[in-house]
Amino acid sequence: MWKYIARRFSTMLFTLFVISLISFAVIQLPPGDYVTSLIARMASQGAGNISQEFQAEMRSLYGLNEPVYMQYLKWMRNILVNGRFGYSFVYQRDAINLIVERLPMSFALAFSSLLFVWAVALPIGIYSAVHQYSTVDYLFSFIGFIGVAVPNFLLALIFLYVSYRVFGRAMVGLFSQDFADAPWSWARVVDLLKHLWIPVIIIGTGGTAGLIRTMRANLLDELNKPYVETARAKGLSENRLLLKYPVRHAMNPFVSTIGWTLPGVVSGEAIVSMVLNLPTAGPVLLGALQAQDMYVAAGFVLLLSTLTVIGTFISDLMLAWVDPRIRLQ
Amino acid sequence: MSDVLLRVRDLRVHFFTDEGIVKAVDGVDLDIERGKTLCLVGESGCGKSVACRSFLNIVQPPGRIVSGEMLFYGGADREPVDLAKLDAKGRQIRQIRGKEISMIFQEPMTSLSPMYTVGNQIMENILLHTGTSKEDAREKAIDLLGQVGIPKPDRLIDEYPFRLSGGMRQRAMIAMALSCHPNLLVADEPTTALDVTTQAQILDLMLELQHNYGMALLFITHDLGVVAEIADDVAVMYLGKIVERATARVIFNEPQHPYTRSLLRSIPKIAMKREELDPIKGMVPSPFRRPEGCTFHPRCPNVMDVCRHVVPSVTQLDDTHTVQCLLYEPEPVEQARS
Repeated sequence: MWKYIARRFSTMLFTLFVISLISFAVIQLPPGDYVTSLIARMASQGAGNISQEFQAEMRSLYGLNEPVYMQYLKWMRNILVNGRFGYSFVYQRDAINLIVERLPMSFALAFSSLLFVWAVALPIGIYSAVHQYSTVDYLFSFIGFIGVAVPNFLLALIFLYVSYRVFGRAMVGLFSQDFADAPWSWARVVDLLKHLWIPVIIIGTGGTAGLIRTMRANLLDELNKPYVETARAKGLSENRLLLKYPVRHAMNPFVSTIGWTLPGVVSGEAIVSMVLNLPTAGPVLLGALQAQDMYVAAGFVLLLSTLTVIGTFISDLMLAWVDPRIRLQ
Repeated sequence: MSDVLLRVRDLRVHFFTDEGIVKAVDGVDLDIERGKTLCLVGESGCGKSVACRSFLNIVQPPGRIVSGEMLFYGGADREPVDLAKLDAKGRQIRQIRGKEISMIFQEPMTSLSPMYTVGNQIMENILLHTGTSKEDAREKAIDLLGQVGIPKPDRLIDEYPFRLSGGMRQRAMIAMALSCHPNLLVADEPTTALDVTTQAQILDLMLELQHNYGMALLFITHDLGVVAEIADDVAVMYLGKIVERATARVIFNEPQHPYTRSLLRSIPKIAMKREELDPIKGMVPSPFRRPEGCTFHPRCPNVMDVCRHVVPSVTQLDDTHTVQCLLYEPEPVEQARS
């Protein structure tokens, strides 16, 4: 068990290192160094000249006159020691502020979508497997395939239209106007929940359909295993034996995938968030890449990847917790 | 007067598949006597396993018990219950499963769930059928594990099945099956997946426990060596039918049905030279294309013309010996015309 954790942990550290290299490479991708692009941008906006002192300060802060590996080390040191990810010239503030503002919203959305997907997909998947080839099974398969096939942004547009027609206003954003810039309070959380369900349903639909298929297939594999027959021969009722044995077995693959649902949701929510005007990470990341605001882009890539890797590590631990075969080997 | 525990009459279990109907069990008559051992023998695919699953009413779709009756004289008042009539998911049959009739399976590796401890899975049976507390159930489970010869039962009860050897797992399965003192233990090839030494130990254990518990044992196997060792009575099954049924001594010394004789001839003997091995010719026919008449006729050494289109009925040779073969029917040709 400890060996398993240690192995997973060292893999995680190595992966994190590789991720930091890739994120750094993202910064290096556009032609010219950062300060040059900053000056060019300022000039094109007619914002006047940037003082020589500021330029020099920036160059020394990021080590732009030094070799690439020094730039990498300085960038990492700024992040690890000072918690500074670099300066965003689009937003005129440090990238970390943006990330701190946006990422929790993405998290909330990802987590709620996951809960929604599980709550809907798992029972349906179980039902479909147990009643394989029944009318209901075919019906859910049909709905499921539509859910996979319809793009999320289209669903978002339909929702916008319907909410506008039915409620008289477009259900956009994650907060009402009164709460958009208000400090966190109980009322603000309630307001968030009132708005959250729309993007959750839109983002969740595609995932739900996929998960129904996976759960159905997993469970079908388990339903004919001899241990199910043993349980039935004991006289357990169908529902009880179903939940205790095959469903428990079929759940394992899901436990091990919780950790990496975050990046999928973030890339999936980007377009939906733009349509619905949600203050999440996706649109900012996309905007940063388009504007070549590289410290913001790299910061998001780095943090998202890091959270994903840590999430995967936690899922591995959870898997060991629920599956004795892994725990005891 | 025999003391019948389970009386099966004209049991038919069919599987409704896309390619057609498979008559896995096709008119089986069988009496299982209280406290006795009945061996059900036959080749792979003859319907032995399906038959014994139907006694617990756990045949899964697309399989279904189509007709017949299974009178179980299990209760204290020995009032017969027709198991075939009970709802397969209903409370009544579930109270018989695991309590009155319990079952052990062929694959000890996969018949226990790797997710729960051995103790959990044994106690589950006890808690389900008796009103005891968890502590008492645990005591009982430890006691049972000791009875089936598991060393340090108080420690192994908390072990997961995948940490035990195949023999140990089968012992745990037996402990589970015995936990509510069943009247009938159905064992579906319980030793087939084990190595020979373990096989012998498990057989001895089962016989000893059968004696201690005074229960009837229905033992399904294709291994005639095992049959010779444990059986009181033998039923030989071929393509969903019991073709011959008699006491073990009669089956081994005076087998009547050509299939039984062929089976016995096909056993290799240690003193025999290799080329003397006498397998049954031909293969088990496809379940979708059963031969007409007597289903054994394409492989039968004593085949007659009439066998190709007349289905033999049960002939009672004496009190305990029945055979289903036209050789023993007085007027088979007459039946063919009618």
